Amino acid sequence: MKKLMFLMLAVMVGFGASAQSLPDVKVENQEGKVISIQDLVDGTPMIISFWSTTCKPCIMELNAINESLYEWLDEVDMKVVAVSVDDARTVSRARAMTQGQGWDDYVCVYDKNQDLKRAMNVSLTPHTFVVDGKGNIVASHSGYTPGSEQELFEEIKALK
Amino acid sequence: MKKFLLFVGILAVATFTTNEASAQIKVGEGQLSVALESNNIYYTPDKQMVDLGLDKPEDRVRGDFGSNDYLKVDYRLGRFSAGVQIDGYLPGLYGYDQYTYQQRDSKLTAFFTKYVQWEAENWGVRLGDIYDQFGSGLIFRTYEDRALGFNNALAGGRAYYNINNMVNVKVLAGLPRLYDVRSNNPVWGADLSLSISDMVGWYDGLVSIEGSYVGRYQKGATELFPTKEEFGTTVAGMDSDVVNMVSGRANFEYKGISFRGEYVAKLNNDKFNPALSAAKGNVINIDLGYNYKRFSASATFRRQVNMTAPIELVESGIGGGNTINYIPLITRQHTYSLANLNPYRGTSVHTGGEIGGQIDLYYSLRNPKARGKYWNFHANFSMFNTIDHKLGEMDMEGRNAWIDFNFDVERQWNKKFKTTFFYSYQRWDEEINHYDAAVAHYCDSHIFVADVTYKINKKHSVRVELQYLNSDNYEGDWLAGTIEYNLAPKFSIYVSDMWNCEAMQDGQYGNGIWNPDTLEFDDHALLHYYQVGATFTHDFLRLQLSYGRNRAGYVCSGGSCRYQPAYTGANLALTLSF
Repeated sequence: MKKLMFLMLAVMVGFGASAQSLPDVKVENQEGKVISIQDLVDGTPMIISFWSTTCKPCIMELNAINESLYEWLDEVDMKVVAVSVDDARTVSRARAMTQGQGWDDYVCVYDKNQDLKRAMNVSLTPHTFVVDGKGNIVASHSGYTPGSEQELFEEIKALK
Repeated sequence: MKKFLLFVGILAVATFTTNEASAQIKVGEGQLSVALESNNIYYTPDKQMVDLGLDKPEDRVRGDFGSNDYLKVDYRLGRFSAGVQIDGYLPGLYGYDQYTYQQRDSKLTAFFTKYVQWEAENWGVRLGDIYDQFGSGLIFRTYEDRALGFNNALAGGRAYYNINNMVNVKVLAGLPRLYDVRSNNPVWGADLSLSISDMVGWYDGLVSIEGSYVGRYQKGATELFPTKEEFGTTVAGMDSDVVNMVSGRANFEYKGISFRGEYVAKLNNDKFNPALSAAKGNVINIDLGYNYKRFSASATFRRQVNMTAPIELVESGIGGGNTINYIPLITRQHTYSLANLNPYRGTSVHTGGEIGGQIDLYYSLRNPKARGKYWNFHANFSMFNTIDHKLGEMDMEGRNAWIDFNFDVERQWNKKFKTTFFYSYQRWDEEINHYDAAVAHYCDSHIFVADVTYKINKKHSVRVELQYLNSDNYEGDWLAGTIEYNLAPKFSIYVSDMWNCEAMQDGQYGNGIWNPDTLEFDDHALLHYYQVGATFTHDFLRLQLSYGRNRAGYVCSGGSCRYQPAYTGANLALTLSF
């Protein structure tokens, strides 16, 4: 236990303000093709949101973002990437759900064996990242409370 | 308790020193990232539960404090990455199968996983612990599920090569992790996928065919489990120390229509339940999907016989995490507590074979001009039967094990107000779902839920959830309620309660103590499973503190379930990542 804490403290000491970038990890897109998450970097800032069919707050968050998306798009150019971490049990349900919830403005990708989840150090969902147009991660949030999507928008706006 | 306080102290320091939003660490040209997850429970005595025989403090052989912790550190520099994860149990929480394989009273255990990896444009090599799956995992899957305490990472090597997205070849071999010990049984495999659509240059859809081979070796398996006569029947044994499995898959996707089919065969005798006959196995799985505009449907069919492939054949107490493949339950995984009171747990462990499927329908009704108003409809049906089949020399008889039908409708009325109504009908065979031959009959329940969220303003919101379970058999009726108050984006508090408001006479899992003198349940037996909790979120830190009484039951995640004994206590969960 103590060792663990010392390690943690040692890590805390080395803080800098440099940005971390998206890892080169492969996921499946809506059509079932394998792509790298880095392929989505195209100069447009994005919100990357990890979700699963059994995570209620995740779905609430994605629905809330969907409601506000057109208002946000009036002010900034951006996109939303919904990363499903559903495994073989629920991935076909996740594919159906993205359509049935009206998330057709989202880029939906599927991380069936949680490779991207591991690479981005996501322990619990929902977990959202704000990524700039070059693929640098500028903010990270865990959990969702109604209204906290506004914070993501403010962070996207600050990138301008 | 001291450890617990020390832990909280360190956390407080950590929180203040990392107050800047999304701090990251740059080491040379590379990047270091760290994630910590810590789940702590302080078990408190609960006289009422002890009196009812539901809580057994004497079973808590590791003391009244438990902590499952995971620290993960990764380093990435261009195409190179490396990482280590330490799983620490200080000591472990109760209700995890890991203690099947180690001293039940171990005060401190830890397990290290590590890897180095090189990812080039079209090939990659990884040494160390490997998480991977072939196809949907029916033949091979190594993964981590912290909610269940499973981790079967393969310590060894993996290499893959991809030719223009048309051909992808992958090979791997290693020793799997069995909970918190390393198994001595090597597992190896190869996977080939061919993208026909890429080969012929058809980019409007996708056609691919794939195949895999996986092998496992256990020294002396045939001697440990020979064919023998038991109570007049022949219990078949292992026919080889090596178990070979092969699979074939076909995938098709075109304009909203999708088909995924997979067949896996186990070519040698194998046994997942030490008491049952060893036998060969097979599974067929078909997924169909269709979507048109805002309507979508998905259906899954699966038939499997003796396909659970354990890492190690053991003489007793196998544990749900002792497996190198993944045969998930495909019924809907519920999020409302009463719908999850008696989840379907699968028939395969009981009988070795099942057939069934599920259908999901989704429809979203929305006005493109007013995005703040919409209806979402969802219906789901699933059914599983055990099948008539031979397990070794034994005849297994098929019968219905589970049926459920669920319907939910979500309505966003305006920016402030949202309602969800949910109904679920569940019917199960008590003998199969709870191994309880004494009450071998069908039980069923109707569950009704109303879930309302009201947004007071941009930051404040309230959510209220009411649940009612109606059942004329099993445990009788249940009621549950939750009130949650949110202050976005950082705080959330909640209180909830759940109780068996009508204990049944034959409901031996219920809360009531049957009093043979009065022929009634004692009043004081009405047990409330209350919870109070608060969550604090700040960028990459999430802290959740709760206190309450927890019912014994099955915690299911993905394909498996674990039994969680009842307890009352304080729970501190923390996640931190940067």
